[in-house]
Amino acid sequence: MNFEWIVKVITNYWPMFLRGAGMTLFISLLGTIFGFIIGLISGVIRSMPMPESGIKKAILKFVNIILSIYVEVFRGTPMIVQAMVIYYGSAQVLNINMNRLAAALLIVSINTGAYMAEIVRGGIVSIDKGQFEAAYAVGMNHIQTMTNVVLPQVIRNILPATGNEFVINIKDTSVLNVISVTELFFQTKTVAGNNFRFFEPFFVACVLYFIMTFTVTRILRFVERKLDGPENFTMIYNPMQI
Amino acid sequence: MNKKILSFIAIGLLFILFVAGCGSNANSSSPQGPEVQEKAEEEAFRVGLECGYPPFNWTQLDDSNGAVPIEGTQEYAGGYDVEIAKRIAEGLGKKLVIVKTEWTGLLPALTSGKIDAIIAGMSPTEERKQTIDFSDNYYKSDLVMVVKRGGKYENATSLKDFNGARITAQLNTFHYTVIDQIEGVVKQPAMDDFPAMRVALESDMIDGYVTERPEAISAEAANPNFKMIEFTDGFVTSDDDTAIAVGLAKGSPLREKINEILAGISEEERIRIMDEAIRNQPASE
Repeated sequence: MNFEWIVKVITNYWPMFLRGAGMTLFISLLGTIFGFIIGLISGVIRSMPMPESGIKKAILKFVNIILSIYVEVFRGTPMIVQAMVIYYGSAQVLNINMNRLAAALLIVSINTGAYMAEIVRGGIVSIDKGQFEAAYAVGMNHIQTMTNVVLPQVIRNILPATGNEFVINIKDTSVLNVISVTELFFQTKTVAGNNFRFFEPFFVACVLYFIMTFTVTRILRFVERKLDGPENFTMIYNPMQI
Repeated sequence: MNKKILSFIAIGLLFILFVAGCGSNANSSSPQGPEVQEKAEEEAFRVGLECGYPPFNWTQLDDSNGAVPIEGTQEYAGGYDVEIAKRIAEGLGKKLVIVKTEWTGLLPALTSGKIDAIIAGMSPTEERKQTIDFSDNYYKSDLVMVVKRGGKYENATSLKDFNGARITAQLNTFHYTVIDQIEGVVKQPAMDDFPAMRVALESDMIDGYVTERPEAISAEAANPNFKMIEFTDGFVTSDDDTAIAVGLAKGSPLREKINEILAGISEEERIRIMDEAIRNQPASE
């Protein structure tokens, strides 16, 4: 370890490191948000009770099969392979010239979505069955039950798992350099290649990655505490009660 | 309550559309419509390279020494490859666009039409020729070994001296296949790129790696721990391997024109460009 070199690398290349870190954070933040939305939607659909009538049942069954294929395929293949196949494959086979950044966001989103779908499903399953029955008993349909009763609890409960996904995304975007996205890892590699110095630039990248992931986990912890509310409070204000 | 959540979902969907729209508009060099695309292809000569393999190509923060902006970033690319690319683009009457691409992504980028040419210190090997075409050579180099200064192999002069040494080279290059010519060598798994091999050498994971002369000179100049070993009677290589050429898509109409332009660059000028590149590379500051 050479301290002078660390200082030299930082003073000469700090804009590259910062731009790379910014790109990493941008892709992983948007990817996690979109993945979260995909996961919620897919979780709600997959937990729908089977309708009795033929047509509706067939549609729901078909959608469920599509969703399971999506989850299994994108969970079961590495993101670096997905990036190669989607970005270069779309150009070579389908003749679609995808924007690099759009492709990166798409890949991270659907990849996260596949994991989030299972996390959300787990969250929904964990809610007591009595709550569903009670909601149906007062005449709510599935969507109403989900948005009013189940999902608010699910979102609170899966927040730690979502934070995990976010942290994983920050680190996993480093594979996107195969489709020429200049995120932090690619920039660090370039700095290392430029200077024939390796430990120092990667040490800087290591610190930057840690700062990003640590900040994110702290913020999520704070949000969790906010969602929990105060420890002691009156559950419901009921003016009829004396 | 229900309405609130529905409007939240609606806003979320609008946001997705907005970002998707921005994403596709942000990069003007990859337009959507087919007519626009044709026009852009006429004007731009898109070249893929790593921008991290000095003195052939590297990344810098300003446009000094004739460096060219890298597409989609605020950095610039310089080096021998970039100088050659500039001359080719000029000869073709097109605007040079540098697309920074990881080594493993170069071939798929070319075959899928994301870039028009690879000018990245790539040798025209038989294997690569099965998927892409190559122009005439624009550089020729000999193979050397980089070892650690003060190490066991510092004073090696011939291939025989590397009996028992742990040697590696870059993945998917002929550097790696020639290692078998050393008797009694302990061939290590191939590595992804030069930074990885230099880390391995510095941390004693390997005893040396096979590389080309310009890269070795730069490594030695930049890091005093490295030493280049030259061989008088070294690796047996084919002409196709030690040479470096422009990679083009199969049947590319640009090939003849590029060969013409390359023929116009004299041997003296090539040496001058390479010397300049070795002098200007970031590590030599």
